[in-house]
Amino acid sequence: MARADTLARAKELARPELAYLVRFPAADGMKDMELTWAELARDTKWVTERLRGHGLAAGQRALLTTSGFEGFWGHTVIGALRALRVPYGIAEAMGWDHRRTAVFHRELDPDVVIGLSAETLEGLSGSADIGEMFRSTSVVLARPAAVPVLRGAGVSACLMSAVGPALALECPERCGAHVNAAEWRVGERDGELVIAAGEGRRSRLAETPLGIAGRVETGKCACGSEDPRVLLAEAGPTSSSRS
Amino acid sequence: MVGDRDTGDRYFEPQVETMPREQLRALQEERVLELVEYAYGNSPFYRELWDEHGVHPRDIRSLEDFRARVPFITKDMVRAYRARTGDPFGGLLCVPTEELTSVSSSSGTTGDPEFFAEIWEDAPPLVTAQVRDLWELGLRPGDRVLSPPGTFRNLMDPGYQALGAVVIEVDTWIGKMHEVVEALRTYRPAYIQMMYPQMVELEHLAEKVDLKEAFSSLKGASCAGQPLSRKMRERIRDDWGIDVYEYTSAADTGTAWECREHDGFHLWEDTVFAECIEVEEHGWRDVQESDLGELVATDLDNRAAPLIRYRSEDLVRLSRGRCGCGRTHARMWVAGRRGDETLVQGRSVVLRDIWNAVEDQPETVAGVFQIVRERREVDELRLRVGYDPELTGDVDALAGRLGEAVLERTGVKPVLDMRTEEDLLNTMTSVAKFPRVVKS
Ligand SMILES: [Zn+2]
Ligand SMILES: [Zn+2]
Repeated sequence: MARADTLARAKELARPELAYLVRFPAADGMKDMELTWAELARDTKWVTERLRGHGLAAGQRALLTTSGFEGFWGHTVIGALRALRVPYGIAEAMGWDHRRTAVFHRELDPDVVIGLSAETLEGLSGSADIGEMFRSTSVVLARPAAVPVLRGAGVSACLMSAVGPALALECPERCGAHVNAAEWRVGERDGELVIAAGEGRRSRLAETPLGIAGRVETGKCACGSEDPRVLLAEAGPTSSSRS
Repeated sequence: MVGDRDTGDRYFEPQVETMPREQLRALQEERVLELVEYAYGNSPFYRELWDEHGVHPRDIRSLEDFRARVPFITKDMVRAYRARTGDPFGGLLCVPTEELTSVSSSSGTTGDPEFFAEIWEDAPPLVTAQVRDLWELGLRPGDRVLSPPGTFRNLMDPGYQALGAVVIEVDTWIGKMHEVVEALRTYRPAYIQMMYPQMVELEHLAEKVDLKEAFSSLKGASCAGQPLSRKMRERIRDDWGIDVYEYTSAADTGTAWECREHDGFHLWEDTVFAECIEVEEHGWRDVQESDLGELVATDLDNRAAPLIRYRSEDLVRLSRGRCGCGRTHARMWVAGRRGDETLVQGRSVVLRDIWNAVEDQPETVAGVFQIVRERREVDELRLRVGYDPELTGDVDALAGRLGEAVLERTGVKPVLDMRTEEDLLNTMTSVAKFPRVVKS
């Protein structure tokens, strides 16, 4: 068919190794870093495993709230949902688009909500009870400032956050968001997070302070993962204090 | 200089894009006949509707049969089905929900957004059908593009990347044009997608920033959501040096873009069967090529939830003549929405006349305005108009001048509600559209 032919033609092009130039806020301003197709594929695989750990499987439905400039992780989450055969609805993460989130939530009844922002919650709270809305949702992966709001409303939300050019995803243990140790080195200096690229990344990134208040746990997590966990001050205290 | 690039490899899919009309028609016929069978067998909405009209796929053996027998559908019909059955897809879905890849939605400027069910492999359908348009604009493998502002029609990146473009993550939403200009200077992208409010924002930056220099790396920029006014277009092209490509919705089956000729929006007719018609009290008729009619669209490349003879309410002129670019696919020119016309004490007022009056005043040259009305028929013409505070000394004097200008163009003296542009743009509830007609 038409679009399939277009994409088949596109595959004949000599495409560059790069998929993205990721820009991220660091302590001393915006930085950028290249992201190759090979890295994107590895990142997608890692996200797939993390979401599988949350019990995501075929037959479920997801809602993803994300912005146009978040493709470097949005692409991996979408790739993971495709791999898990979980159809997703998509809405903006910006507060003014909260009505779209509400409509998707009402009509598609998602089992999984990924990327909820505090701005979306604030918008929703004008006409809905946040707790009632999300308490029955099996998995809620929320941005840092949204986590305490949700937990305060009785929703057992998990943290997800961009940590510089990396994505951190909390597991069901809810004791800090995992960062892929095979690709990144995360650490803390004076109560703030730092990140460096692992050996396998094409773009070098020496240890970079991110200006994000938080700390890092390195022991093996109860979920079985050895990936370090970041705990962000903005996301509030963790619900379980295992370390 | 704008628009003078090498055209040696102008077409992305030459055979399809320049296909002779007879061949294109044969292809459409084949797809329509398959579609009718498929939709009747799988969509409860179409089966119910066509049964009511005594239409069965076995009676549809040609495009003529299809046009003569298959009933039109409207947004309201799908909404009614949705309300009656609780099916969020209004009965249009032809596959089980589990087989969908994703669900995106319409801008939702006039109520709840409507869902678009999607099945795809490498890139979502909307942006995939833009690949030919982006190629025409000049985008090539290795070029850089800035990430687009919104995601409500799904993540666009995979489409750009299919073309070999590298996406640079920059927040291009309203209020960020300062950063966008910085990013343009640093990364020298070839393409950026913009929206009307960003153009207004740039207008304000123009005094402080050398926009021509900042935009000089662009092969083109796209702009959607609503037509650019003539003045705005000239400003973008001549003062900022941007080759701007407008695009619009192809009746919710995809998008229709300008080519480098900038003379109408190309429909990709291997993805949509388009009709330009006038619906009358009893039946309908085709309009002449030079006349305005309503765009009616049928999805030819959508097995998730195809629209079939969907009345878009868009008033367009449609031409199937070969374009200066050499493509054979039809072009359309959009005059407005069927519902945009307002009757003020029986007198017809169209958007374009108001627009011309608004942009003739220097303080409101950006053309940011809305008609405020409960119904199409009103006793007074209420207009909310955004002005640039830096250019406006006396708001009352401006209102006086503007009121006279609107009266002159439309024959109606408006009731004006003057706001700053920023105030008015901040009332937007969608990335895609600044609504021209609002209820309150
Ligand atoms: Zn864990
Ligand atoms: Zn053309």
